[in-house]
Amino acid sequence: MAMKIKAWLKTIIFYEILVGMNATLRHLLHYKPITLQYPHEKRTLPDSYRGMLSLLRYDDGIEKCVGCDLCEAACPSRVIKVISAEVPGEPTKRYAKEYYMDMTRCLFCGLCVQACPVDALGMTREYEWAVYDKRHLYLNKEQLLAIGDRAFPVREKRLELQHPNVAFFNVAFTHLPPKNS
Amino acid sequence: MVEVGVKLALSLTQIAVVMGVVLLTVMFLTLAERKVLGWMQDRMGPMEVGPYGILQPVADGLKLFFKEDIVPAGANKFLFSMAPLLALVPALIGFAVIPFGPDLTVEVFGVQFKPFVISDINVGILYILAFTSIGAYGIILGGWASNSKYSLLGGLRSAAQVISYELNVGLAIVGVLLLAGSLSLVKITEAQTGWFWNWFIIAPPFPQIFAFVVYVISAVAETNRLPFDLPEAESELVAGFFTEYSGMRFAFFFLAEYANMILVSCIAAALFLGGWNAPAPFLQFHGSLAHLLWLSATIWFAVKVYFFLFLFFWLRATLPRLRYDQLMRFGWKVMLPIALGNILITAIAAYLFPRS
Repeated sequence: MAMKIKAWLKTIIFYEILVGMNATLRHLLHYKPITLQYPHEKRTLPDSYRGMLSLLRYDDGIEKCVGCDLCEAACPSRVIKVISAEVPGEPTKRYAKEYYMDMTRCLFCGLCVQACPVDALGMTREYEWAVYDKRHLYLNKEQLLAIGDRAFPVREKRLELQHPNVAFFNVAFTHLPPKNS
Repeated sequence: MVEVGVKLALSLTQIAVVMGVVLLTVMFLTLAERKVLGWMQDRMGPMEVGPYGILQPVADGLKLFFKEDIVPAGANKFLFSMAPLLALVPALIGFAVIPFGPDLTVEVFGVQFKPFVISDINVGILYILAFTSIGAYGIILGGWASNSKYSLLGGLRSAAQVISYELNVGLAIVGVLLLAGSLSLVKITEAQTGWFWNWFIIAPPFPQIFAFVVYVISAVAETNRLPFDLPEAESELVAGFFTEYSGMRFAFFFLAEYANMILVSCIAAALFLGGWNAPAPFLQFHGSLAHLLWLSATIWFAVKVYFFLFLFFWLRATLPRLRYDQLMRFGWKVMLPIALGNILITAIAAYLFPRS
């Protein structure tokens, strides 16, 4: 009976509605917005952020890519298209004559980066890539290299200069340091 | 002849001032609503146009001016263009009888002139009720003339809702009318002078608190605001009765909604919360400052009106929309008996203990 009267009282004074209004008023008085004013303020991105893809160069300005097509094979959405060719005059070396990425299809999984044997691909932290024309997202080698240049200003040395006695793809033996004899 | 001219000029100035104030308030309300709603939901509201987004209403107004005015194919052009006016004019016309300040009489060029009420007619509240009912036609006709099923559904819902809740508004007011013995809003406000317990919401021995609650809920329903915004119901009916409207016609509906909010707030303040009376006599300018009474009085009136407007936003931030059958059941089975019972009890009490 007492319970019934209590429930009835709660109904006629709109108890539940008052509780809800109290909650909204508390939020108004202790105003702490969770909004980030996006174009003016930006989030701190995590170190492992997977943003726009790019092609990288060595510190002497030679592009790293050896045209092995492994990224193309690894890509689940067929973003990448590589046309490989010999470096003119150096029959032991290959490079990507043409390299295309259709970024409209990319899902930023990073599998191409993992597949690359020479670390020629890098994921930058760029994400503001809204464009008015879809075709602007079909990127060629020069564009991808430009992205890599601005996103990774500190370039790696050639692999053979990093570690002595490594045999890697695309090793130009002329650059090898003399062996300690 | 000169007298008529002066009267006309004074009235027109008064009307212009009141309309200006109302439309400015509407502008302010569109911003305030978005801000308050944002703050209550841990957002910021508009922040881009001007510092802290305070110029947002100007930007909105300009945008609506320059938008294309579309009349859908198969729409009844005459009614389609008339509906927004039919919604807006009754909403604005009600302000003619609202007393914004004390009932002073000033003599200007030999003409008696009341600066704080445009027209003190003796059926004031009845006049407002009559005109707000016409406003419902604007919504219904707008919904029907658009030749769109969503609009039509919105209009139909609005018809049913406004009819059910008009009734409650009317019945809730009757208690106050019994106590005040007049339909004129000026007289009703004057009957509540003195301390705050003279306000009709308390007014011992016959408090109108139940009538007040019924009135506020019905007023929210009548202005089609959340949680009773079934005619608009953007999650079900796109935008309800103004789905097909764009540009200035849409702006007229928008203005009408906000003007209606201000109007019902003014009525609630005048009928239940003492209008321009302060809670205690010493909170008004008095004694040597008595000639400034109008200033404090209008400020008190504005405070009460803005409290109600804030309540509208507050309810919108808190409550979800009612289902249609819940709305009808609540209106007819809960509000109507309370309002009728209130009339009965108030009538008996007013007979047994007549107010001096």
